[in-house]
Amino acid sequence: MAYLSMGEAHRRITEFLNRFSDAVSYQDGSSLKQLFSLSSNSPFLLSLADGLNLFQDANRLIKQSEKYSQFGDIIIPLFRSIQSYKAGNLVDAYNAFEKSANAFIHEFRNWESAWALDSLYVIAYEIRVLAERSDRELASNGKSPDKLKGAGSFLMKVFGVLAGKGQKRIGALHVTCQLFKIYFKLGTVHLCRSVIRSIETARIFDFEEFPKRDKVTYMYYTGRLEVFNENFPAADQKLSYALTHCNPQSEANIRMILKYLIPVKLSIGILPKEWLLEKHNLVEYRKVVQALRRGDLRLLRHALQEHEDRFLRSGVYLVLEKLELQVYQRLLKKIYIIQKQKDPSKAHQMKLEVIAKTLKWLEIDMDLDEVECIVAILIYKNLVKGYFAHKSKVVVLSKQDPFPKLNGKQMNS
Amino acid sequence: MATEPKQATEDVKIDLFEDDDEFEEFEIDEEWEDKNEANEGTQQWEDDWDDDDVNDDFSLQLRRELESNNEKK
Repeated sequence: MAYLSMGEAHRRITEFLNRFSDAVSYQDGSSLKQLFSLSSNSPFLLSLADGLNLFQDANRLIKQSEKYSQFGDIIIPLFRSIQSYKAGNLVDAYNAFEKSANAFIHEFRNWESAWALDSLYVIAYEIRVLAERSDRELASNGKSPDKLKGAGSFLMKVFGVLAGKGQKRIGALHVTCQLFKIYFKLGTVHLCRSVIRSIETARIFDFEEFPKRDKVTYMYYTGRLEVFNENFPAADQKLSYALTHCNPQSEANIRMILKYLIPVKLSIGILPKEWLLEKHNLVEYRKVVQALRRGDLRLLRHALQEHEDRFLRSGVYLVLEKLELQVYQRLLKKIYIIQKQKDPSKAHQMKLEVIAKTLKWLEIDMDLDEVECIVAILIYKNLVKGYFAHKSKVVVLSKQDPFPKLNGKQMNS
Repeated sequence: MATEPKQATEDVKIDLFEDDDEFEEFEIDEEWEDKNEANEGTQQWEDDWDDDDVNDDFSLQLRRELESNNEKK
């Protein structure tokens, strides 16, 4: 490190203090937010850390002047956080940052206008990523990682500050999205519910008025929640919203949306075009789509097996597994059409034995009772219209629309 | 060898704090135009795929299979 004089150290510290107090007095949000942005690794903050290490008594400097001391509760712990961050001590950096952030929202609450909202966004982001990195540090030292949980509690507090009336309310969705990221990471997604209720029942604010980036993120996460709840029409609506309004340049985000939207669309009987899978490198769905088109149960099972890990990790495995009934429907329909071409008068009578033999051809061993059971489920789910003639072991198909399409509706549960 | 099981449990613990599909942050002042909504949908998705066409390879094999079943009787 280059030599640093005491005078230079002093200069760096007072420059920070002046920038801070000027930003507040001129209500200059875009200058203020940079002072909290640890993870930006800005040369200004990094060189400040060196100055603080050398000067050692910055606290006295703050307390001596009224101009600075009114923000002492924010700045003193922020300085400590910047020093610890530079030294690579993340847990200390997190603890100090949380203190500073608490003091900040105390001030923020008293400011009438929403000028400092961008700074609050930066703080919300910083506290989350700092907590994640701290937890990794804690876990690798064999200690219990609890900082991300702490960041969640802090952001709930911030949400409370914003969720009232007035201009600040527009920031509530951004904080909600940061909370979603924490809850999904911690596996505590049930905690999303109360925040969602608060956003969706608030009549004083129209959802469309929130910033676009927050709306897209919100719809992505609530869409994923609807997938977990197996509410596919709602998941379709939310994820489609995210897809249409997402920044077209943001390839990674578009791919993530599709990763969930594709299984949702499949489960309501809608297929993605081949180019869509190619373009976004979602080829793990290619065989699943092919299996649906063909009515090929064997292919579906292979496709699920081949990418089992991936599908289980993203939580769509169970959604895809349920596609099996649609594939059965397609297979029966093909048998029906082929029978009809041969002998139209008998086509609507389908022998269970014929189904069993077809399944055997697809390497699925089922006796007639099991086949009957599957067909009964198909009838119950309204994927097949017909009834059984038990004695002759035949399904009698309805002459009108024997294989109703889902047409964007969810299968009966 | 003895340390191996311990390693495994630690991995699981860290793994709990993962979400492979965390949405990337947009910049605070990031602006963009939406894509053309009306065209998008029909270009990306297909809802009338469940047709009566049985001339694909799979259906032809299926037909052969069904016919061989009949012959056996």
